[in-house]
Amino acid sequence: MFHERKTFSGMVARERLTSLLNAERLACSPRNMQMLKNDLTMTINRYLPAEESAITIQIDYAPAVMTIKVPIQNTEESHAETI
Amino acid sequence: MSDIIVVTSGKGGVGKTTTAANLGIGLANLQKKVVMVDTDIGLRNLDVVLGLENRIVYNLVDVIEGRCRLKQALIRDKRQKELYLLPSAQTRDKTAVTPEQMRKLCDELRTQFDYVLLDCPAGIEQGFFNAIAGADRAVVVTTPEVSSIRDADRIIGILESSGLSDVFLIINRIRPDMVRRGEMMSVEDVEEILAVPLIGVIPDDEQVVVATNQGEPVTGAGSLAGRAYQNISRRILGEEVPYLDLTAKRGLFRRIFKK
Repeated sequence: MFHERKTFSGMVARERLTSLLNAERLACSPRNMQMLKNDLTMTINRYLPAEESAITIQIDYAPAVMTIKVPIQNTEESHAETI
Repeated sequence: MSDIIVVTSGKGGVGKTTTAANLGIGLANLQKKVVMVDTDIGLRNLDVVLGLENRIVYNLVDVIEGRCRLKQALIRDKRQKELYLLPSAQTRDKTAVTPEQMRKLCDELRTQFDYVLLDCPAGIEQGFFNAIAGADRAVVVTTPEVSSIRDADRIIGILESSGLSDVFLIINRIRPDMVRRGEMMSVEDVEEILAVPLIGVIPDDEQVVVATNQGEPVTGAGSLAGRAYQNISRRILGEEVPYLDLTAKRGLFRRIFKK
């Protein structure tokens, strides 16, 4: 089972720490981040279809920039449904 | 002009006391007059790491409360020419002294020693603020693990907002074999995350346990960790010392390029 593992724990640790510390330095806790995501999803879904689990939020620390990526679900499908 | 350095970390058990002791010895090896101060009131450990536990008569709190003179509390380490320990009190707690009292004590120590090394307790309560009160600069010790790095980051932030911006990093207990396998963060990873200048890297070394068991220093040529500590002492004095190659069996030197 260990031979199949593709992600190395060292890399996982580094990524976790980077997100965590960037968020903590900007005084935005992981819980706040989740609430932000939920609110964003709800708001966006009023206008365009978007799925919460596909939304990614990245925080860079220097310069301090928050980047939010929202994949919009295929509008033609939902258009077909309404017809 | 003397230098007062606090050795801190936030997280407990990452090697502050061992580092404070071995840097003290390293600096004394380089002919400096050094005092190591245990500021962890109630949980003293610097004495036992140095093998000086049987020689304590007076301690830090006795000096601050005026029950004895500083000279009476200082323990001279017989293995070194000019190395002293000011032990902590075991039966009091961190509220026994204030940051202001620590500052005054440091002023007095400054007149007698080239280097004052303050061994800081874990945590961010009064014990920490007592320890940093008189310091000129800080050495933050971390291990390449998630929880200690997170705590180190918080400590660095608190140091900066307390006016201590001269901060250096020591990465302790690195295991090059695990780093190579991708199962431990590397020196470069930790440096990048914490973003303070690196002053030393110490490998995980059995000799540290062996030395502490015997109350002996690990600093010296006998082990990789020992050589790492001696190199850090030299860097504190301003010398540019290349980092040990921890992966080679015989410890060849190679330069790590830092930013």
